[in-house]
Amino acid sequence: MSKPYFKISGGYVYDPLNGVDGQVQDIWVQDGRIVPAPVAGIRADRTLDAAGYVVMPGGVDMHCHIAGPKVNMGRKMRPEEKRQGEVIPRTLTTHSGTLGSVPSTFATGFKYIGLGYTSAFDAAVPPLSARHAHEEFADTPAIDKGFYVLMGNNHFMMKSISEENPKQLKAFIAWLLGATKAYAPKLVNPGGVEVWKHHPAGNVDTIDQIVDHYEVTPRQIISEVARATNELGLPHPVHIHCNNLGMPGNWSTTLNTMDALNGFKGHLTHIQFHSYGGGEGSEESFCSKTTELADYINTHDNLTVDVGQVMFGKTTSMTGDGPLGYFLHNVYGGKWLSVDTEMESGCGIAPIEYRNKSLVHALQWAIGLEWYLLVEDPWRVVMSTDHPNGGSFMAYPQIIRLLMDATYRNDVLRSVHPDVMSRCVLGDIDREYTLNEICIITRAGPAKILGLKHKGHLGVGADADITIYSPHENKEVMFEMPRYVIKSGEILIDECELKQQTFGKTFNVAPAYDVEVEADIADWFEQYYSVQFRNYPISDDYVHDSELVDCHEKES
Amino acid sequence: MTLELEYIGDTTIPVELQGVTPCRLRDLSLSEIEGMEIYHGKEIVSLADFFKISGDLSDEQMRLSGDLSGVHWIGSKMESGSIAIRGNCGRHLGSEMTSGTITVQGSASDWVGAEMRGGLIYIKGDAGHQVGAGYRGSSTGMNRGTILVHGDVGNELGLTMRRGLIAVGGKAGDLIGFNMRAGTIMLFGASGIRHGAAMRRGSIVFMGADHPPLLPSFKYSCRYQPEFMQLLLRNLQNLGFPVPTSVVDSTYDLHHGDMIDGGRGEVLLRVS
Repeated sequence: MSKPYFKISGGYVYDPLNGVDGQVQDIWVQDGRIVPAPVAGIRADRTLDAAGYVVMPGGVDMHCHIAGPKVNMGRKMRPEEKRQGEVIPRTLTTHSGTLGSVPSTFATGFKYIGLGYTSAFDAAVPPLSARHAHEEFADTPAIDKGFYVLMGNNHFMMKSISEENPKQLKAFIAWLLGATKAYAPKLVNPGGVEVWKHHPAGNVDTIDQIVDHYEVTPRQIISEVARATNELGLPHPVHIHCNNLGMPGNWSTTLNTMDALNGFKGHLTHIQFHSYGGGEGSEESFCSKTTELADYINTHDNLTVDVGQVMFGKTTSMTGDGPLGYFLHNVYGGKWLSVDTEMESGCGIAPIEYRNKSLVHALQWAIGLEWYLLVEDPWRVVMSTDHPNGGSFMAYPQIIRLLMDATYRNDVLRSVHPDVMSRCVLGDIDREYTLNEICIITRAGPAKILGLKHKGHLGVGADADITIYSPHENKEVMFEMPRYVIKSGEILIDECELKQQTFGKTFNVAPAYDVEVEADIADWFEQYYSVQFRNYPISDDYVHDSELVDCHEKES
Repeated sequence: MTLELEYIGDTTIPVELQGVTPCRLRDLSLSEIEGMEIYHGKEIVSLADFFKISGDLSDEQMRLSGDLSGVHWIGSKMESGSIAIRGNCGRHLGSEMTSGTITVQGSASDWVGAEMRGGLIYIKGDAGHQVGAGYRGSSTGMNRGTILVHGDVGNELGLTMRRGLIAVGGKAGDLIGFNMRAGTIMLFGASGIRHGAAMRRGSIVFMGADHPPLLPSFKYSCRYQPEFMQLLLRNLQNLGFPVPTSVVDSTYDLHHGDMIDGGRGEVLLRVS
């Protein structure tokens, strides 16, 4: 007996990967996946009448911070947010949760699914804390998850580069990804965090500055890791948080980073924070350099970006970029946490408030919007707020309205600090996103950039992660409360209400590598780590409901 | 007439009475009161599923009886009237209440009068931790009102307290008046350690014979006989709190602290 069919009938379907742009179509689901329409005579066991509604694949957030030690510390550092913030009450079928800028695990899952997002990836987990991230994922309902593992300041990695041993570097990266059950490599301020650990207020100013002890440069780290990860055939080769985040004049560092990839595929994250002109520490000359950087992106198809949009309001900055946390603490005062993860990475956490009357904050907001509007190919720019750094993921509907309604965008632009107009080109852009383009930058594009072949589209074989919206003139209203959200074929949001609690799966990769490297790594652990080598890797049975995504190794 | 609620529940899962207060029930019929929704764990049930209910609230008085140690949030956010509890009760008794009176013949669990803004809570037995405290993340705890406990209490008595009076007849645990902003705490029994840590203002008065060790960030000021203490103790006597008449005219050693947070708080140790 065949498994039951579920039919979503007659909606306006947006499926850019398969060239469907608002046509009325039926979608058939069986066993959690999208299947071809059955032969005539077979009827659906259940039909959802989507006539008049907009049907899209489930959203994919490729850069957020939702699990792991820094997220948990962000929650613990700000109990006042938990006390004052909205509470998600328990129901017979769902767990309770709390919001604030760093929601609890359950609230995170519920709010994502409530927005129509069905997958989310944490962007910065130290390898030593990977176990914690997996445990939090196991408590984050409704969505599929994965994380990027930090390696831009890993000592073994820098040693391999310093010794000009690319074979060892490649094997180590593959081993580390498999050992931590991670999805992709992440570089955060490559080399800069290590300099921060060596010097008071230390950091690198350029990507050609020497990193202490290992005598390597950020450029070498970027180039060599990009080469190795592309050769490993990872679905998402390298996710880069450039050096000098947030500093006036950092656009040249960003441009050099793009160049340092040497044509290899790479994703530059929260690019908004890396697009600033101006002199060192000078607010007078602070300006947008989005046009120049977007031109580079438009002409180099090995590169993709997500934006890291700033939205006005209070939030919590959390980053693996230790010196950045210190910088923010010096600027804004208040609480600050700095963590050194031995041999591997750092972490900085500080509360922050983005104000629309602040020139710097308003310009950051405008630069983010410029990125969406100046990258010509929507498949190469992805919606993100770097949750919670630029703002909450719950602000995505507001961003969609800003992109789809130029009149509204210009109204908001006129309400922020008046000097913003002269320091960026946002006021000169009249481009408005279409629903199809919104579908690309929120689900089809990030799924493709992540190499997830069964996400972000509604073709046969795709996961049945589907979001159904009621059309509305105000696109913020339309996107903030989907009518239905279907996850793996199950209706979780029904008539705008969460009806059941499921737990998604975790994506990870395990590229093949030369096992001889393990002896070198074990020796390294024996000498320097506080953790035994044999206790370090996360076993298969530790990860709940995981899915291994294939790698396709290329010849070096 | 009094509204009688006799507990008939038989469960180890918490029962929560949020919203079951005289002011909220005053205008409801008996059947409407019986149908009020309360939580039993994560399930929403009717009040009548756990209580046998009789009488009415014409004089805004409620009386609860039975073993209520697993029943929480009794009198929380209460605005007027009185609640009398014949046995023991659970956590969060009278939390965030603004007015009215709650009396407990037995003992109460943690968070008694947490963040209360007015009214009187009178417990004849013991109370748990965080009496009159602020919840985690709150900048102020109890802010007006009176809590009287005849017996012992746990740790963090008056945590982040802002205003009001707490008097405890028995022993207390550690960290009395931790992060205290103002108000008055009086303790007649023995206690633990680290009292007044990070207090900014307010008074913590130790009436017992055994003085607790004070933090090094408290500084001796003087020995004196403050008149306000006589007024305060007589007020407690008038409220029915067991204050020996012999201690009303006592002399005290005054210490100021916490010096790491301004040093405007005071700790009084009764010496004779």
